[in-house]
Amino acid sequence: MFAYYARLSLASFRRNPGLTTLMVLAIALGIAVCIMTLTVYHAMSGNPIWWKNDRLYAVTMDNWDPKQTYNHDGSLGPPPQLTYKDAMHLFSSDIPERKVVMYTVDAVISGTGLPAPTRVETRLTSADFFAMFDVPFLYGSGWSGSADTPPQPVIVLSRQENEKLFGGINSVGRTLRWKDHEFRVVGVLDEWMPRPRFYDVNGGSFQMPEDAYIPFAWGKDLELLSSGNTDCWRPEKIDSVAEFLNSDCIWLQMWVEIPEARSRERFQAFMDGYWAEQRKAGRFERPRDNRLTNVGHWLRDRKVVDTDNRVLVGLAFAFLAVCLINTVGLLLAKFLNAAAVTGVRRALGASRRQIFVQHLVEVGTLSVIGALLGLGLASLGLAAVHHMYSAAHLGHRGGYQELTHIDAVGVMWAVILAIAATLAAGLYPAWRVGRLPPAQYLKSQ
Amino acid sequence: MLKMQDVSKIYRTDLIETYALRGFSMQVSAGEFVAVTGPSGSGKTTFLNVAGLLENFESGSYQLDGKDVRELSDDARSHLRNQRIGFIFQSFNLIPDLNIFDNVDVPLRYRRLNAKDRRERIGSALDLVGLSSRMKHMPSQLSGGQQQRVAIARAIAGDPAFLLADEPTGNLDSLMARQVMDLLEQINELGTTILLVTHDPELARRAQRNVHLVDGQISDFRAYEPRAVGAEAGGAALA
Amino acid sequence: MNLSVRPILSALLRNRTGAVLVAMQIAIALAVLVNALYIVMQRIEKMRQPTGIDVDNILVVSSAGFTERYQPVPSIEQDLRYLRSLPGVTAATATNSIPLSGGGSAQTLVTQPNAHSNDSMNYFEVDEHGLDALGLHLVAGRNFRHDEIQPPLTKAEASRFVPQIIITRALAQDLFPKQDPLGKQVYDSIGQAATVIGVVDPMLGSWPGMIAHPDWVFLMPRAPFTEGGNSLIYLVHTQPGQREAMLRLIETHLSSSNPERVVHFVRPLRYFRDLVYLGDRTMGIYLFTVTLLLIAVTCLGVFALATFNVSTRTKQIGTRRAVGARRADIVRYFLIENGLITSTGILVGCALALGVGYWLSMQYELPRLNLYYLVGGVLLLWAIGQLAAWQPARRASAVSPSVATRTV
Repeated sequence: MFAYYARLSLASFRRNPGLTTLMVLAIALGIAVCIMTLTVYHAMSGNPIWWKNDRLYAVTMDNWDPKQTYNHDGSLGPPPQLTYKDAMHLFSSDIPERKVVMYTVDAVISGTGLPAPTRVETRLTSADFFAMFDVPFLYGSGWSGSADTPPQPVIVLSRQENEKLFGGINSVGRTLRWKDHEFRVVGVLDEWMPRPRFYDVNGGSFQMPEDAYIPFAWGKDLELLSSGNTDCWRPEKIDSVAEFLNSDCIWLQMWVEIPEARSRERFQAFMDGYWAEQRKAGRFERPRDNRLTNVGHWLRDRKVVDTDNRVLVGLAFAFLAVCLINTVGLLLAKFLNAAAVTGVRRALGASRRQIFVQHLVEVGTLSVIGALLGLGLASLGLAAVHHMYSAAHLGHRGGYQELTHIDAVGVMWAVILAIAATLAAGLYPAWRVGRLPPAQYLKSQ
Repeated sequence: MLKMQDVSKIYRTDLIETYALRGFSMQVSAGEFVAVTGPSGSGKTTFLNVAGLLENFESGSYQLDGKDVRELSDDARSHLRNQRIGFIFQSFNLIPDLNIFDNVDVPLRYRRLNAKDRRERIGSALDLVGLSSRMKHMPSQLSGGQQQRVAIARAIAGDPAFLLADEPTGNLDSLMARQVMDLLEQINELGTTILLVTHDPELARRAQRNVHLVDGQISDFRAYEPRAVGAEAGGAALA
Repeated sequence: MNLSVRPILSALLRNRTGAVLVAMQIAIALAVLVNALYIVMQRIEKMRQPTGIDVDNILVVSSAGFTERYQPVPSIEQDLRYLRSLPGVTAATATNSIPLSGGGSAQTLVTQPNAHSNDSMNYFEVDEHGLDALGLHLVAGRNFRHDEIQPPLTKAEASRFVPQIIITRALAQDLFPKQDPLGKQVYDSIGQAATVIGVVDPMLGSWPGMIAHPDWVFLMPRAPFTEGGNSLIYLVHTQPGQREAMLRLIETHLSSSNPERVVHFVRPLRYFRDLVYLGDRTMGIYLFTVTLLLIAVTCLGVFALATFNVSTRTKQIGTRRAVGARRADIVRYFLIENGLITSTGILVGCALALGVGYWLSMQYELPRLNLYYLVGGVLLLWAIGQLAAWQPARRASAVSPSVATRTV
């Protein structure tokens, strides 16, 4: 019977090609705008490591100015980064199963047999980084904990950087030169694109991960300053690296992996104890606010999804609503226009349910066509957004382009959304036409 | 076979109630060819709608094949229409986007017959009306008389016990009208009961029995009179 | 034909589903239209804010020394000498960050020694060519002199301030309201003083559209800090039309002139300016496009309903014509009917628009929706609604009176 109804739908489309096109277009447009917006929104707001939401925690302490909050109105909570001395103290704890303290620098890397020296954004971090954030490796692996202190000259490259420097070969064992030190490549990452870049949302959460990773302690040895945000509030003289490391400037990100609640409580107590001790020494003048924040809450607290995006999602749904209301209206007009034919079918023995199903199949066919067209339009639209973000901005680092990818799961959801929404829109017209009194439309044409 | 007892049908609007049928009683036996006549507004179409289970009624009883249809659900009525009743309309009511074959196919589809069965029935119905060569044509490509013959084929393809015809020749010229009436007589002779609603006394004369409606009531029972076999003018009404 | 609204209304009420659907579309369309346009206009205003900087004629060179042998001071001198020698270049300076790029430096600046301040002020380190390199207008006081330019900060001497600064007029008005800022003293967070010697206007700093006062900026006469792998920025002001030629020339020369140093990029300043407004631009284009499509879809809805109403009432229209209605009467009937539907939608839409506007003002911390937009939106939608119904109404008026007498 389904095939029969599908054939009837096609015949019906042929009868009103204009109206049918309008409906398909309305559905497709509504769906396209929704897919586009949701794709971008999803890329910006999704938790890219949700499976570790009950284990991974950002560590923050409010060391800020007693007279003012970290940002203007305090809406971002305590400062998102730590001072060097606080980070070092917390890092010394054995309570976390894994822990990292880290920041980024601009490195200029050269090597024999390589093209000209290039700037490589490099993350200084500790050995646990790779296991903690489930970073995939193409070749080799991360470095062991023993390479952290004293820092060994080891480096891990991103897949892209390995392409650029070594043409994508297995470069494990090769060396790279930086600051007159020879760094040995121990690992090359596979494609890794956490969106947003949750572990460091300074300077834009859509940034791509760094191109290289080296042990954290090199920072102190080579006196490397952060290329990310450094925020200071205390009026203090900083005229040496030692003074800087001892200052109340914040510039380090810290994360811990603690699966058990009891260990988390212990770590929290450890933080609070350190806080009380430091407070006695004259620091931490603000109310106690030492936090362990999981990734989901972290992204929310850091306001990773900006207002624009939420406004656009609202707009997209308003648009979809208008398109669907429009479709309901057009379907109603179309179905009621053909009331005489429906009357004949009823007279010939079609039940209400059969008429309802017949029209629902027609709506379903429309929605499938609309969804496919909508998907096409959305790809075009996303290509346009992509173009806007990439045209003339060659070489700029940042994952904007990645925001505009539709993945297979996204496509599936989009198609389901399209079909479900249209079917929902078609329910009323199909029901209405099934309730028409059969006799009324038979007498005259 | 069909038995109506004291059937009343009221059309209500905000202001007035109109009795379209008022205490209407009638009985039709299997194999009969009955003409229902009456002036415009006498309740002919209402009678047809009620008899064809297209509309329900307010009071009285209606038995079809000995079964009371008053309390049947919409689905059950649809099923009965599909299995037992065939319709022929004044304006043919072919479905314009479907070709002849598919038009005749419509009631069979709702009966969920298999494809082979349907094809055979459609073929023989169209053979009977002499249009089996036009299966792939669209309704708009046929003349009015041909369209009505397709409608007849559609009505009989499901092998109904009843054929309800509402002014079947109203939109046709006299030659085509005669062909259609010949066809109906032929079908009646094959055993199908026919109820013909018309305002035309000429047509009514070709039926075995006439029922005359005025203001929703039968004004006058006419005696049963067998039709003279093969006679054109047979079944002339008793005046 | 009776043209009073009452019979049209009662006919409408008997057949309301389609009308309600169209009214709903119009309501949503109005709410979206008004608020989207309001946001778009705000973005455009933001992007049009004068930067004071000659964006189209400036090149940005980013480089960094990468070996231990790298000597920043002579290297910078050598580079600047080369850049200034180019015939297509009018001025060049070394600085600490790229203006209008969304990234920069800030420090405390107060009018009393050791006073407390909530605001960090955006600053740029430049030399005496800084004003020309940026194309800034000095509106009071004087430029830095060559002998006033301080050596760069070092890790061993990171807190040193400068004796003179030039500030923007906006910053002057914040620091010294209704006073002449020239000659006034300002202080950094540890109480070191500097004298205001000049005022520029206008000028946007590092964070246009990203902070409350992107025009609170000051200039320091100092060579930029380059230790710890920090990138060094040159701003090169070119003669009109020479930008691209200079870009290629500079890129080629600098990438080979000093083996201790690597050139990250040479780019037009416009690139960074566009990038910083990219979000606003995309938002504006997106909102505008979607709103346009929304209006189009709504138009279609109005058109389809009117067409349907006409096609199902052919006989009625014929009858009206037969009893003496003129064509204009028929057109008017349908336009009034459509007007009733549109007006209902608009009425609901006004409430919706204000509600959405209120929500947005909470989200964006922006002034409430300007009512002119609402009035404009109402007029626009009403006109569009009538326009969409015009063609079906005309078609209705073309129905022949003879339709009334035809039975089938």
